[in-house]
Amino acid sequence: MSGDIIELIKENVIQGRVTRDDEGIEEGTIGQPGVTELIKEALASGVDVSDIINNGLTASMKVVGQKFENEEYYIPDMLASAEAVGAGMQLMEPYLAQSGVKPKGKVLIATVKGDLHEIGKNIVSILLRGAGYIVKDLGNDVETQDIVKAVREEKPDFLGLSALLTSTMVTMEDTIKALEENGLRDKVKIIIGGAPVSEEFAREIGADGYGADGFHAISVFENLSAGNSATP
Amino acid sequence: MPALNNEIDIDKQRILTRIGYSDDYEPSARISSLVDDYIENYHDLIAPSYSYRIRNIESVDGNRVDIGNSIVLKSKKLARLLERCEMVAVFALTIGNYLEDLVTYLADNGLVLQATVLDAIGSGTVEKLAIQVEGKLRINAGMEGLITSWRFSPGYCDWEVSQQELVFRALDGDAPGIRLTDSMLMIPRKSVSGIIGIGLPGNDIENYNPCNTCLKKDCPGRRR
Repeated sequence: MSGDIIELIKENVIQGRVTRDDEGIEEGTIGQPGVTELIKEALASGVDVSDIINNGLTASMKVVGQKFENEEYYIPDMLASAEAVGAGMQLMEPYLAQSGVKPKGKVLIATVKGDLHEIGKNIVSILLRGAGYIVKDLGNDVETQDIVKAVREEKPDFLGLSALLTSTMVTMEDTIKALEENGLRDKVKIIIGGAPVSEEFAREIGADGYGADGFHAISVFENLSAGNSATP
Repeated sequence: MPALNNEIDIDKQRILTRIGYSDDYEPSARISSLVDDYIENYHDLIAPSYSYRIRNIESVDGNRVDIGNSIVLKSKKLARLLERCEMVAVFALTIGNYLEDLVTYLADNGLVLQATVLDAIGSGTVEKLAIQVEGKLRINAGMEGLITSWRFSPGYCDWEVSQQELVFRALDGDAPGIRLTDSMLMIPRKSVSGIIGIGLPGNDIENYNPCNTCLKKDCPGRRR
């Protein structure tokens, strides 16, 4: 029973179906339970939370990531699946503390000062939550000093910085310098992302990694979590 | 300036391209119907308005263009255009903040697909509005026997975004509900500001494109 419902959760994340009212990537699925209905059912029947996360949500996003890499899925298809994972994680939040599921790490994420773009950052946040990280989102247009303060107080394992403008990407370097000046740089791994930045830019400003898209960003977090370099 | 009507039609295929599909790809029923739904209803979320001023070009020197009232635009590529022009139209336009407020709400609540679709519709709509305003200025100039250039916005090419403040100063405070942040970005975000050169025919004003001689071939703002 547990295996069947986990398989259904997985399939519906891949189909990007949040509720029974949603059409899937393939047609003809309307009316069948979506991810939220299935997770509620699983929780009510006592299915292990870690099983739902690891074998349902995380495993399904790996499949979605492969489909994205193989160009079977495009960005909107990936986003539909991310929405389903986000909705699922929200339902499970109250159960996480008592489940004994250990998070893979704590991430602070922010769009830097002067930049108001946030969709990309929010996508990475959802994918990270689905992959088993605790994420604290500081929002957009975040003052450098507020990022430094949050790193000092929250003691995250990772800091994700996003910028969509060439005029604001330079603030990422200011942020890294500010962390250095406050003796915090070696306490946190920094991963940057956004349209104008690159692997080369990440190296230039002293970041630990660069995420080219949502899934690539997750693989960079996973590599750094495992103690490897960002791109082994 | 009175608001334009809301009859800004956007093309579904362009929205699909903006959200990441290649031109020949058939999206899933889920994505297709979501885009259809938003295209059907986005008119209620936009309040297009614009303003402009026509200013004489006082002088052009190197990378400096003096348009009066102590307003000096600094960009070598703009200067190369405006030295051929008699006047400059300074403009700002927006589709208002309702649409992007909804985008923020959706994104904050994890509905990133919907937020992305609606954001793409907003970008497509403000671009269409800019084309409308550009067309209106072209017609007005044509009635005087003048022609217009393409439009140029602060933040592109060698025209720094910090110069946005000058564009707004040149509008004499008549920005249509748009304010600038400390970093010179416009709020609402779905806004466009900039200049259009106006001059006599025969000076190659209408075809001036600094991208033709630029070596930065991978520039995302490159125009052909």
